[in-house]
Amino acid sequence: MRLKDQVALVTGGSRGIGRGIVLAFAREGARVAFLYKGSQSAAESLVQEVTAAGGIARAMQCDVTKNEEAQKVVDAVEKEWAPVNILVNNAGIIKDGLFVRMEPAEWQAVLDTNLGGTFNFCRAVAFAMARARKGRIINISSIAADHVNPGQTNYAASKGAINAFTRALAVELAGRGVTVNAIAPGFIATDMSEAIRNKAGDLITKMIPMKRLGQPDDIAKAAVFLASPEASYITGQVLKVDGGLSLGAAAV
Amino acid sequence: MPSQDEIYQKVSATLVEALNVDEEEIQPTSTLQGDLGAESIDFLDIVFRLEREFGIKIPRGELFPESIFQGDPEFVKDGKVTEKGLSELREKMPFADIRKFEQNPEVTAISDLFTVDMITKYIQGKLQAN
Repeated sequence: MRLKDQVALVTGGSRGIGRGIVLAFAREGARVAFLYKGSQSAAESLVQEVTAAGGIARAMQCDVTKNEEAQKVVDAVEKEWAPVNILVNNAGIIKDGLFVRMEPAEWQAVLDTNLGGTFNFCRAVAFAMARARKGRIINISSIAADHVNPGQTNYAASKGAINAFTRALAVELAGRGVTVNAIAPGFIATDMSEAIRNKAGDLITKMIPMKRLGQPDDIAKAAVFLASPEASYITGQVLKVDGGLSLGAAAV
Repeated sequence: MPSQDEIYQKVSATLVEALNVDEEEIQPTSTLQGDLGAESIDFLDIVFRLEREFGIKIPRGELFPESIFQGDPEFVKDGKVTEKGLSELREKMPFADIRKFEQNPEVTAISDLFTVDMITKYIQGKLQAN
């Protein structure tokens, strides 16, 4: 159990990659608070699943774009368990569309959730982590920040900003032993990527050198590593977990 | 009202915690950055701890002004703080001992003003005013 006695907070935890991270963290002995926005039944069944496996998890409803809610959530977890010492900023949305037709609201919603949510929760935990000289922050980015797709100006901008933010915050907190890293997933089999997968079909798996989609657990394992003592000297990095997709090799 | 020595002892203990240094390393003349290795986030932590320790409120930028010479381009010339800049410094940081700095006021040496003694004098003034 690599995360025994740790207190983790995972945003966007009820489904997809976040759900995988909640399960993996709980398996490794952490107490995991996770946030969901609308998927209450998915959140409840995840808590049950973790509990049945002997882990500890609790679900909290929260809109990550609301700064004041972030601090409330962090304070509530501290009151119930202990200060959050692992934060995973995973909550993210897509609102794809060609740029010339992109509505300001579609731009803003993606930036507010993906980047703004990351800011809100980092802001809520960073000083306490710095003072405790203990903490891990893991931001879920995307390879789409660097390996861009048409229709994703808003999403790419938000994820590219997360990468830059990760490096900048890492520098500020490094002296206090708090690490800040990002994970950039490739194509992962989740609800979010379903539309693209349905459209592109087999083409996607053909593009991936490992010839399979990633599973949420592939990302979760990387998150466990970055949260674990083994990764204590790693900070400001963006770890691509994509089966080789970003290598850009032509199919062989 | 605690004596200057009592304040110094408390300030010293605060710095031990905030900067993770040994008490023996701390002298009244120790500079926070140069001698004790403080980084920007450490200054925040020090302010936070001092507020709690002494039950005072320290307005942002009062104890550790962040950009004291940005207000006027005439405060600094050729990398040196001008007489105008020095009088600004005296006004904004009356608790700092700038006598040594005045002799060679290189703007990059400004951080040497932030000493353990400076914090002690600041706290003393703060407690007197209360």
